[in-house]
Amino acid sequence: MGVDFTLNGKPRSFAGDPRTSLLHALRDDFRLTGAKDVCGEGFCGACIIYVDGEPKTSCLLPVGALQGTEITTIEGIGNVDTLNPVQQAFIDFDVVQCGMCFPGMVMTLTHYLKDNPRPSRAEVKAALTGNICRCTGYERIIDAVMSLHNSASGEVRT
Amino acid sequence: MTESMDKTTAVMNLPRRDARDKLQGRTKYTVDAGGSDVLHAALLRSDVASARITRLDTSAALKMPGVQAIATAADAPGLHGLGIADHPVFADKVVRYHGEPLAVIAAETLAQARAAAKAIIIEYAELPKVLTMAEALSQDAPLVHPDWEDYEILFEGGNRSGNIAWQATVDRGDTDAAFARDDVTIVEGSYQVGRQNHVSFEPRAVVASFEDGRYHIHTSTQAPWTVKSVTAKVLGVPEAAVHVTVPAVGGGFGLKFDCSLEPYATILARKTGRSVSLVNSRKEEMMTCLCRENADIHIRSAVTKNGEIVGRDATVLMDCGAYGGEQVFLTTMTAHTLGGNYKLGSVRIRTKAVYTNTPPNGAFRACNGVYNTFALERHTDEICAAIGMDPFEFRRRTVVGDQDLGATGQVFEGNVLGPMLDQMVAKHPIGKRSDTLPDGRLYGRATTVGTWFIFVGPSAATVILNADASATLVTAGVEIGSGTMMQSLPQIVAANLGIHPDAVIVKTADTDAAGRDLGVGGGRTTVSIGAASEAACADVRDKLLEVASGLLQTKPDNLVLTAGRVEMKGRPGSGTTIRQVVQHAETTIGPISGSGAFTAPGVPAMPGCAAGHFIDAIDVPVFAVHDCEVAVDPVTGHVEILSYRLVQDVGRALNHRAIHGQIQGGVVQGIGYALTEEITINKNGAFDQTGFESYHLPLAGDVLPIEFELYEGAPSIGPLGTKGAGEVPILNVAATLGCAIANATDKKVNTLPLTPPRITALLEGRQNGSNLGHVARLRGGDKR
Ligand code: FES
Ligand code: FES
Repeated sequence: MGVDFTLNGKPRSFAGDPRTSLLHALRDDFRLTGAKDVCGEGFCGACIIYVDGEPKTSCLLPVGALQGTEITTIEGIGNVDTLNPVQQAFIDFDVVQCGMCFPGMVMTLTHYLKDNPRPSRAEVKAALTGNICRCTGYERIIDAVMSLHNSASGEVRT
Repeated sequence: MTESMDKTTAVMNLPRRDARDKLQGRTKYTVDAGGSDVLHAALLRSDVASARITRLDTSAALKMPGVQAIATAADAPGLHGLGIADHPVFADKVVRYHGEPLAVIAAETLAQARAAAKAIIIEYAELPKVLTMAEALSQDAPLVHPDWEDYEILFEGGNRSGNIAWQATVDRGDTDAAFARDDVTIVEGSYQVGRQNHVSFEPRAVVASFEDGRYHIHTSTQAPWTVKSVTAKVLGVPEAAVHVTVPAVGGGFGLKFDCSLEPYATILARKTGRSVSLVNSRKEEMMTCLCRENADIHIRSAVTKNGEIVGRDATVLMDCGAYGGEQVFLTTMTAHTLGGNYKLGSVRIRTKAVYTNTPPNGAFRACNGVYNTFALERHTDEICAAIGMDPFEFRRRTVVGDQDLGATGQVFEGNVLGPMLDQMVAKHPIGKRSDTLPDGRLYGRATTVGTWFIFVGPSAATVILNADASATLVTAGVEIGSGTMMQSLPQIVAANLGIHPDAVIVKTADTDAAGRDLGVGGGRTTVSIGAASEAACADVRDKLLEVASGLLQTKPDNLVLTAGRVEMKGRPGSGTTIRQVVQHAETTIGPISGSGAFTAPGVPAMPGCAAGHFIDAIDVPVFAVHDCEVAVDPVTGHVEILSYRLVQDVGRALNHRAIHGQIQGGVVQGIGYALTEEITINKNGAFDQTGFESYHLPLAGDVLPIEFELYEGAPSIGPLGTKGAGEVPILNVAATLGCAIANATDKKVNTLPLTPPRITALLEGRQNGSNLGHVARLRGGDKR
């Protein structure tokens, strides 16, 4: 008797201890290592994935609670050959350093920009409250995000 | 041969080739390696700070489900260390810090390994402990290493005794006479700073295997050759039996400059014949991090009314924790950081690494430079107040310039800091240094200077020119996130060979393929590995041009490499493609490759000036000028940074955009160090901050864009005139914030971090908790 869910578009089942965190199930059992185990306590956001389209910290989610859900990980965002606009902006602005926080950054910001296509700088920072980066000092990440809606609308807001 | 290439082609905003996979979650860091065939290991760590081990029984644990092997001190009897071999792999008979490894277990799953760790029977007889340097240096303090005199000395010259693991000294000129002059003002200050955790997002991690009679260590390190030699030493096997490979490293900042988890996994791989993965949990990483050390500093200066520093006398105590580690080496740096920045008539510095029963410390971006600069710049502002001179004016007059002497007597070349200060104020003229804002907050501004140095050390490189005119660069350099291996090095190699950096393949670090290297740290990678790579390219170029000269019927001197072609000088289109020359070479001399090496012989100190130093003087000085404005809330003690700008000496900027990333990231780490990142050690000798809830990293909402200008053209032995740019941005952040907060509050700011409770205590005139009598006392009784 396992837990059944959709993982990156494919039906999957988890037969282990239902108290296992989704993060560990993804990394250890499904070998999807894009979500990172950094703080393990819900603070850093490196483990963010979507459950039914909503960003969640997978380190705090027991697999047992996920029956029938649709789970998307960073590996399920596009494919090897395609980048979404957030990923592309991060490349264009050369913001990636060690990279450990970026799977979570991409998940958070991709979701955020869907509902808030033209945020101010302060709003982007507020959206990143749950995503910590030790390397970049954030501002270049914000620059990259701001370029997205500025180029789409020609409008500059600060 | 220098004109056979165009160096300016090295300058470009080359994007990172590793960004795409990192953004797609496809990069395999060491923590991502593994699979069902890999065993998982867990460490049993001590939960006392100082004790004799009376019983350690693994027999029940060995019978637990899934357990494959357990290793203890008996499996790794050797001692290692830097300067002194004082550090066992496992606590053997005695425990010296909370969190010290006692045993390591390999099992089929991590849960099984952890369960078995709990089943090991351990009994202790607790011993007295010293948790602070004041305690460690008090009379009759218990010794952390009662057998300190018996340890093997790996580097001669350091004064050691009891709980003083190492002492480095500087004595230049007659300081006593300087302080005795009747025309000087004597200014004195004490400073105390806490530890800082690197919090690299990838913890320390390793996967080890035993293959064909050799050990293969796949690990998250900055220093593969150190891992190789230390692991060989503690296992008692030849270095040749150890093979180290390093994938992408998820952040280092100095934490991974030393060997750490590798021997445990390696011993278990040997015992089980299987691959073994060992990863620190975040809690282990928080509690046993090789932090930037806490330090106690005392500085005294004799200054004339014109602002001439005729004498300086300083004592720096660096807490090395239970084992000497990097701190032994880092005592050397005080001469160049605290002893840097200013012209000194005479100078006496005592830097001591002090043993305590606390987790060992290590190297962290700009190391002791960060707090020595804080202490020095706060002290400098106090000097200015004492003699009534404007702080900018004082710095402008007193900073080191061309032909001035450094603390250990080296002669500086070039005027760098002075013009950098001018560059800063030209753009941001100095108005008020303190004020009260309309909203009642206290405004402060400060401008500081900082001196860092790049210690280059040995590096080796091989460049293979492939048949398709791409080049493969083989070094032991590691990409830790700073971009050096992704940007600077391909840019340097490409410019040297007249090809595009996209055609430069950078081999990931592998000690079976690349020659010895000191490791990625201190800003040395671009300089040292870059210079070795340039030398390898020169070797390739010589061979290539020789072959081309036969093909094109002209002397090699008449040829130039550019845009994938060999051309006659000044005649574009006259030659042929590099690809054709390489193919021709296959029929004449064979495939083309070159090797190169680099080391700096070392700049000498003035005879008799420096003792116990691992290096006497600075190979490549790097300077920085920082300036900030703050607003301090007098009620809550909260600090808002209103502006932050800097001028950084980079020699030559190869990739402006990448340097921007390093500056923004480095300054923000410095902001965390200065304001929020605090580690406290409880009465059990353990850190109170065990995770992200209690250890406060800067968040997106806490930071601001850092304005910067690069200062180019200062002398450097680095390739194309470069200096490392990633280490330095953090150097004077705490200094600048500390001085600005002192200006805002008109209080003696002398501790870090400046958390809101510390600032309110300062404002209310309450004791801020620092008691530094022991440092001043030491100074008085220590004129050696
Ligand atoms: S690992 Fe889940 S939030 Fe940090
Ligand atoms: S890039 Fe390293 S943690 Fe964000």
